[in-house]
Amino acid sequence: MIALFPTDHFLIMTLYALLVSAFFSLLWRKERRERWKLFGTLIVSLVLGGLAVAWLMYPFPR
Amino acid sequence: MSARAADVSASRPPFAAAALAWVFPGLGHFYLGRRKLAAAFAVIVTLTFLAGITFQGRLYSVEQGQPLTILATFAVYGAGLLNIIARMITDNPGGTILSPTYEYGCAFLLTAGLMNLLLMLDAWDIASGKKP
Repeated sequence: MIALFPTDHFLIMTLYALLVSAFFSLLWRKERRERWKLFGTLIVSLVLGGLAVAWLMYPFPR
Repeated sequence: MSARAADVSASRPPFAAAALAWVFPGLGHFYLGRRKLAAAFAVIVTLTFLAGITFQGRLYSVEQGQPLTILATFAVYGAGLLNIIARMITDNPGGTILSPTYEYGCAFLLTAGLMNLLLMLDAWDIASGKKP
């Protein structure tokens, strides 16, 4: 089981973004094209948003 | 969605659809005839929950003097049978707080439970005709 999931922090964040984006794109949209569009928007927002927050918190390690 | 799925959805009681959705992710949608969607939800929510367990997150229980654990417990219990089975087979439901992935594990477990609660509401809305 452990080998199935990543242990790197960035990869864990990306896995989380992937699962959440897939879930909400299936829940909120009915058309295939609309689903892919929302999936892309969500995953890019979550990953880039996470990196932006990490960068902003860089001066505050604790 | 096929015409058959729409017919099935209209003839099913909303309470049964929501209750089945709680038991296992996607089961409510399967009951309503939306089988592909049900399979996708089952895979996504189960993977999220298993990731939470693997990352040594905490299966929350209510603690005295910690009111936020009430919300966290509600969220985790939203995962239905996944949560109950995990509590029965794990020897460490409190997670491993010293693990570097503990916080991630908690986030994944809470998210899986909340996703399943949303699926319950979605199944209810479909069965009651509020969502096509």
